Amino acid sequence: MTATLLYIEDDREIGEFVSGHLEAGGYKVKWLRSGDRALEEAQNCDLVILDVMLPGLDGFTVGQRLKKSLPALPILLLSARTAIDDKLQGLQFADDYVTKPFHPDELTARIEVLLRRFGSIETECLPVKHLLVYERENRIVNRDTGEEIALSGKQFHIFHYLLRHLNQIMTKEQIYEAVWGESYLEGDKTLMVHIRYLREKIERNPAAPEIIETVRGIGYRVRA
Amino acid sequence: MSARWSKGRKPGWLARQSLLTRYLLIVLGAFLFIPIIIPLASMLYMLAQLAMYPDTTGEMKYGGASEVESAWHAEAGKMEGLTPEEIDIRIRALADQYPDASLFWVDEEGRTRLELPEGAAGYEQWTADSAIRFMKASINGDPFTVVSFLGKENGSTAFMVLQLPRSELHAASGSASGTPFIVGFIFLMFAFLAAVSLLFFMHIRKRLLALQAAMSLRDDHGLPAPVEEKRQDEIGGLESAFNGMVEQLKVGRLRQTEEEELRKRLISNLSHDLRTPLTVMRGHLYTLKSEPLTDKGKEAVSVLEHKTEGLGGLIDNLLSYTLMTSGRYQLSLEPQDVLRLTRQSAASWYPVWENEGIEADISLPGAPLVWKVDREGFRRVLDNLFQNVVRHAAEGRYIGIRLGHRDGQSILVIEDRGPGLNAGNGHGAGKGAGIGLAIVEYLLREMGLAWQRESLEQGTRILIYESNTSDGAGV
Repeated sequence: MTATLLYIEDDREIGEFVSGHLEAGGYKVKWLRSGDRALEEAQNCDLVILDVMLPGLDGFTVGQRLKKSLPALPILLLSARTAIDDKLQGLQFADDYVTKPFHPDELTARIEVLLRRFGSIETECLPVKHLLVYERENRIVNRDTGEEIALSGKQFHIFHYLLRHLNQIMTKEQIYEAVWGESYLEGDKTLMVHIRYLREKIERNPAAPEIIETVRGIGYRVRA
Repeated sequence: MSARWSKGRKPGWLARQSLLTRYLLIVLGAFLFIPIIIPLASMLYMLAQLAMYPDTTGEMKYGGASEVESAWHAEAGKMEGLTPEEIDIRIRALADQYPDASLFWVDEEGRTRLELPEGAAGYEQWTADSAIRFMKASINGDPFTVVSFLGKENGSTAFMVLQLPRSELHAASGSASGTPFIVGFIFLMFAFLAAVSLLFFMHIRKRLLALQAAMSLRDDHGLPAPVEEKRQDEIGGLESAFNGMVEQLKVGRLRQTEEEELRKRLISNLSHDLRTPLTVMRGHLYTLKSEPLTDKGKEAVSVLEHKTEGLGGLIDNLLSYTLMTSGRYQLSLEPQDVLRLTRQSAASWYPVWENEGIEADISLPGAPLVWKVDREGFRRVLDNLFQNVVRHAAEGRYIGIRLGHRDGQSILVIEDRGPGLNAGNGHGAGKGAGIGLAIVEYLLREMGLAWQRESLEQGTRILIYESNTSDGAGV
């Protein structure tokens, strides 16, 4: 499934380059030179890439309007202003923030993360090391044995959360708070215990985990 | 009195006068007081008496001393050529007229005739000696005595005497009985004068206090509100000067806000104008990289890529620093678990470190370390420090983040194994780091934190801790 991106950018050179880069990456790109018709155009899109400095309506206004009428549509803010200035204001409605000049690959990576987080690209089947994850059916199959792996509620939640943030390091607090819905207490062993059981179920060798990586001192990560 | 005038809508004549004039009026009133008030008091007293006792004459049975005297002389005049018996009859009749009086008459031979009451004369036979004694005793004495020789022109040597107790004579004529009234009245007037002066000063005081309160009161923008100008006197002038000052402050504030806004917009535009071409360059470099290039070409592209990235960061730091130091970046200090913030920041930097082959050694305890910081500000500090490590200490291939302790104080320690800050004389380290570290310095100070950089044998150690000694906003 190709994701459709709405890209709002007034600068012709940057616009041409970025839309070319994204199209080469397999996305369908709708490029607008101003935010005036953003709302109509955004209806069938999966993500909006929004430049802050636009002629007419500025990016903040456009972003706020988009978020208000389409709350499930992820917005990635592209800013050429100073980060400290825009960041607070921008992140009130934007889901992520990239400052110009950006590395094209970083932009693609951020878009991937956002699309995954908002569930816009639920691949039929996501291969993760020796596992095949069928996200829509909540099914995990071990490619080595062909067996289905059954996870308990919390284990599934944790794994799902890490898959949603594929390639991102999530801190223990972030995982705990997302899964349990309460604030993380110091020295809480609950998460560690659950991760251990989860690894026992999905890893080839739980003592040397390949899927759920421990990032020492920070948290965990699942890489595709 | 002045207070009463101010009630009217339009300021009266008095209200338009200066305080000095009004005060002088009060003083003048006090001076005029004595010569005017005392006669006024007597007059008022008389009038009051008249009003209260319209039949004063009835009270003063016999009239005044002179009236009694002339009446007696007239009676004596009528006695011309009367026989002693007839005189007796007349005296008796007169005795009825003067019931309180003692009456007697003495004939031409100096013999006392009729005495009413008996023994009123005191002498049976009058001689020159006794007459003089009697007269001497009577002058200005009590009883009031009138002696009249009988006959027309009082030509006879016989005389008749009337003696009235002075109390009867002066019964209701007197200023003496009115003295307490006048004293009271004058006292009252003095009290009135004192009250007027007091009111005058109380009024001034009230207005001054109201002005003081208005000056210390602040509206939403931290400016005092203008006061109502009630009068055109000195305090009124002060009020209007104060209002003028408030107006000027408002205009100044407005201009300042406008200038700040302009400055911010300028920086935003500048940032945009600098970054847009940089982004385009970056894009073209990316395209170039996917073209077939020689090794030398690849290396050149890579260098250019690094430089564009560095330039982008530099622009951001430079403009951020300008915004911050001009007070445009408002920090909101809240208690935050800084270890958690550090972990999150490290999580986002981890992939970069991995790419650069930097080993991250992070050992932060799970227990929160709560400092009062601005979330974004603290992130920015960490970003700049981590960025620095990547840019200038990547060759050390190590970054250590841990919690240290010194004198019971928790310290966040960030360590690298780069060439160190001192090593980079003229080389990249010291120079490029300048503005980024200036931001770190500024933000930490604003958040009530302190930091210290130690050069190690191999690398640099950065210590961040709460500064509770100095201006400590974080305490």
